[in-house]
Amino acid sequence: MTQTSIGPAVRRTIFDAFVFAYVAFALYALATNPTEEMLLDLERNAALAGSLALVGAAASLAFNKSGCRTLGEVLFAPAHKRQAAGEPKAWFKTFWGQQAVVTTLVTLVAGLIVTEFSLVALLDRERISQASKLLGQLFNPGWAILPTVVLHMVQTVYMAFVATAIAVPIAFALSFLSAKNIMRSSAAGLATYTILRVIFNVSRSIEPIIWAIIFALWVGFGPFAGMLALMIQSIASLAKQYSEYVEGVDEGPIEGIRSTGATMLQTVWFAIVPQVTLPYISYTIYRWDTNVRMATIIGFVGGGGIGKLLIEYQLQGAWPEVGCILLVVAFVVWVMDAFSAYVREAIK
Amino acid sequence: MSARVSNPETILSVRDLEKTYPNGVRALKGVSFDVKRGEFLVIIGLSGSGKSTMLRCLNRLHDPTGGRILFKGRDVTGIEGQGVLELRSRIGMIFQHFNLIPRHTVIGNVLSGALSRTSTLKSVLGLWSREDREKAMRYLRLVGIGDKAYYRAAQLSGGQQQRVAIARALTQSPDVLLADEPVASLDPATCHTVMDYLKKVNQELGLTIICNLHFLSLVRQYATRVIALKGGEVVYEGDPNSIDDAWFQRIYGEGAKEVHIN
Ligand SMILES: Nc1ncnc2c1ncn2[C@@H]1O[C@H](COP(=O)(O)OP(=O)(O)OP(=O)(O)O)[C@@H](O)[C@H]1O
Ligand SMILES: [Mg+2]
Repeated sequence: MTQTSIGPAVRRTIFDAFVFAYVAFALYALATNPTEEMLLDLERNAALAGSLALVGAAASLAFNKSGCRTLGEVLFAPAHKRQAAGEPKAWFKTFWGQQAVVTTLVTLVAGLIVTEFSLVALLDRERISQASKLLGQLFNPGWAILPTVVLHMVQTVYMAFVATAIAVPIAFALSFLSAKNIMRSSAAGLATYTILRVIFNVSRSIEPIIWAIIFALWVGFGPFAGMLALMIQSIASLAKQYSEYVEGVDEGPIEGIRSTGATMLQTVWFAIVPQVTLPYISYTIYRWDTNVRMATIIGFVGGGGIGKLLIEYQLQGAWPEVGCILLVVAFVVWVMDAFSAYVREAIK
Repeated sequence: MSARVSNPETILSVRDLEKTYPNGVRALKGVSFDVKRGEFLVIIGLSGSGKSTMLRCLNRLHDPTGGRILFKGRDVTGIEGQGVLELRSRIGMIFQHFNLIPRHTVIGNVLSGALSRTSTLKSVLGLWSREDREKAMRYLRLVGIGDKAYYRAAQLSGGQQQRVAIARALTQSPDVLLADEPVASLDPATCHTVMDYLKKVNQELGLTIICNLHFLSLVRQYATRVIALKGGEVVYEGDPNSIDDAWFQRIYGEGAKEVHIN
């Protein structure tokens, strides 16, 4: 009981303190227009932010005590408290509503400054004409290089395909080892489950473009590095998704098969696999489709295929050729997308 | 292993069986009874009285936490691994929700009763032996749906699915058939069809049946003997027709009224 009432209050206070410190700091920075040197003075800024957070925490406690609900209270209050919130008021008349509006406005203003938003640059006549000339060249593709482009595009599609094809059986096997409903029966199983889940989450959160850089250094620049990068990402992402399907299966057939005296492997094959086959296929096709799109980007950093060609022409400023490549990429991605959507719909 | 069996006809002996779930619920508190070969034993009791737990301890889908189970005179309480799989293969089971594989064919479902005597590789490749195929087909005809062999299980009605489940259990060539509320999700008419097939299996094949049921009228019609559980303990054991109003109230609680289905 105490836990349920303390937890939300702590989270509420931390959230309010952070929001207050952030808004106050941003306003301060807007008002004083600090130099870069001042912004990099970690010690001074940390002290400032820290004390602002303390003020914010105190304010949050005081407001909530006096019955004035802060944004943190609205977000983190336990369900039973939300219902007892009293008569409804229009959200913009409430304290938390105004708090949200002020925070958003401050963020917008600060954001425009940080991203160096400039109408002058955007509307500069000279630059507009330069950009439109480039666009004109892009939309007037140099078809002469089309055969080369198609060849590289084929390479990219194969890269994506091989990466998916190698990843599928590995992810298939791993998905059962990382499904909680299968592994929870023993301590060793639970440990395997936890370790695998951590590995999947870590490798999934590393973008394939980073993997491509790593593998380009390892096996040399080219489609092989790109394929490996896509494969690593695909294994982690397929295994995680597959294992979630395994966790969602109906327990009934498992019990039915187990009751016949079937072994563990037979139970998986007869009771679980039939339940997950269709979602597996559907997600795998989606993954291949995703891999084709990613393979293009991966080419930029040494993964070979169409991306490599694209970056080469772009560095030369050969815009008609770049235009041709972009059109081919767009066409293939569109076809893949439509195909994958169609197949997934058809087998549902 | 003390294999003392007083009566050679006894196929299962349950002694002081206890089951406490990991969350602390004591579902069985020292249950003892014997099952004779060829019986149609019915277990009754309120929801939560431990009937399902009881059945699942017998084929070790759950592990008992105390007491002993003798199966054909052999103590099977401590067995593990392969031993458990062999025990399960000797004991068929059917369930309230049939527990078939909906996407597989009817015959495929029935053949999974032969899993325990088919190697993992062969079963995965679908290489069932000729005897098993014939057996599966024979039992499918026995429960009256031989013509549905190549339908998907999901295309069948509830009553038909339960008959597929019976055929699957029979394909195991078991000594005992456990049935956990086999008709609880069926309409009254279908319910009698399924119960009649269980009776047929009991009488024609001499298969011992242990069945959880909710409706007393069904119990009187089909059971040769009844055990009543209440709060994880046996409160009644005997002839189904001797359950009078007084017993009924003891089993189901004060103020309970019997409802009839026809
Ligand atoms: N897997 C489980 N984990 C924890 N407790 C359980 C589990 N299964 C059953 N129980 C508990 O054990 C007790 C007996 O349950 P059981 O399912 O055996 O009763 P039942 O007689 O079959 O009831 P019903 O008629 O509703 O099927 C109940 O209190 C139930 O909550
Ligand atoms: Mg039950």
